[in-house]
Amino acid sequence: MKGAWPIVFVGLAGPLLAAEPTAPAASQDGLALLKKMASASRRLNYSGTFVYQHAGQNETSRIVHFVNPAGGEFEKLETLDGPAREVIRTNDQVTCYLPDSKTVIIEKRNTRRFPALLPEQLSGVADNYVVSVTGMDRVAGYDCRVVVLEPKDKLRYGHQFCAEAASGLPLRARTISEKNQPLEAFAFTELRIGGNFSRDQVRSRYAAKSKDWKVDHSALAISDVPADTGWSLTRQPTGFKKLTELKRSIAGRTAMVSHIVYSDGLAAVSVFIEPLPKARPARSLSHQGAVNIYIRPVADHMVTVVGEAPAATVMQIANSLEFKGVSGK
Amino acid sequence: MEKISELIDGELEGREAQQQFARLKQDNELAQCWATFHLIGDAMRGERPLSQGFRERLTLRLAGEPTVLAPRPFASKRYVAYALSAAASLSAVSLVGWMAFFNNPLAPLPELAQAPNTTPSAAAQTPTAPLASVPSEGRMNEYLIAHQEFSPSTEIQGLAPYIRGVSSTRQDQGR
Repeated sequence: MKGAWPIVFVGLAGPLLAAEPTAPAASQDGLALLKKMASASRRLNYSGTFVYQHAGQNETSRIVHFVNPAGGEFEKLETLDGPAREVIRTNDQVTCYLPDSKTVIIEKRNTRRFPALLPEQLSGVADNYVVSVTGMDRVAGYDCRVVVLEPKDKLRYGHQFCAEAASGLPLRARTISEKNQPLEAFAFTELRIGGNFSRDQVRSRYAAKSKDWKVDHSALAISDVPADTGWSLTRQPTGFKKLTELKRSIAGRTAMVSHIVYSDGLAAVSVFIEPLPKARPARSLSHQGAVNIYIRPVADHMVTVVGEAPAATVMQIANSLEFKGVSGK
Repeated sequence: MEKISELIDGELEGREAQQQFARLKQDNELAQCWATFHLIGDAMRGERPLSQGFRERLTLRLAGEPTVLAPRPFASKRYVAYALSAAASLSAVSLVGWMAFFNNPLAPLPELAQAPNTTPSAAAQTPTAPLASVPSEGRMNEYLIAHQEFSPSTEIQGLAPYIRGVSSTRQDQGR
């Protein structure tokens, strides 16, 4: 794959560079398309190969999404390069199989998933980004419409999506840094929309093999009930609103973890607060594609902030976190 | 020198190859040239990240060499010619890479221009002391997965963003 990308992508930058201040009508058009994209990726049956590109590396994965007419949403993501890894989603449970370390991570939610892009999320997008539909492109053999989200300030990243012309299925997603640098991109290279699927196609190939693997059972006990964790921000970054606040378990952790999510309608930043581990962690900043991760000890707690936002935003959230009172345990 | 390049290209066989290998062992300059050719080949194929400042050092050394246009009474000058043309194609490759990058902000940087361990943006604009950002290399998977489920971008892109949580980005992998 390496080396092929510059050639593949030459000439695709037009829409991004051509992003102009848009009329409200164009913005409405773009917001409507975003909504269509969100529902298409949950409503449609599709299977294909996509490339995840970040830090100059490419990873190819296979994805199958299947909606059972009798009810239920099934999805399978399988990496094709490097060590084998698999993610299976069945309704409200996400299971990650990591054969390399013989580990299974199960992320289960008791509550229903958010409906595809709530109206208030869309209004958040309109408040924080200049949204415009800039033209047509072609991805994986499908014509698609390009939506550009230009951030109104440096607190968030820019985005560019290409949604399949007929169905609205997102075929390509790119994240652009506050310095106009590419951070990561997802793009289908081969895709089939529609078709009949069988349950077997979304079953893990490790289902049997993983019986004696280490399973992070703690995640099974998640009770993501909205709760007052007692923590809040003194300086909430402009445009970010609290999406949810709950207590939960995290794979591999024994203690309950407070989890607060802030979002500007598109980007989300998660704050995890847990008791300090035995070895007091040093402040540290790391990244994975467009996601920045900042760890900071606060009194006798460890704070981990994770979000697809610039490091400065992630750190501002972490640094302005304060325990305001007795948490409702 | 041509023999060495043929050897690298796998055009020599048996006895002839043996002869060249023997020459390589005896001739220091030749051995160095062998290494340089391979380095250039690796770089052109983008097979391994080169140490920072590699190109500068190479350019500096090339600049120190006599130019191709000078009379060349000695056979060793031919190495210079080869290396220079190789370096020329090398810069052509990176130029194409850069042009692709400027045309399209999302095209990956060519391997040469890339410092895999640094994100300059990370340390900027922070209220506390600057902190360098390092690749998470799979250490934060459980947090990424827990976070992903609440991110609106997951609503738009389905399961695809989960690839971050299981991505294998160890720098030494697949090289």
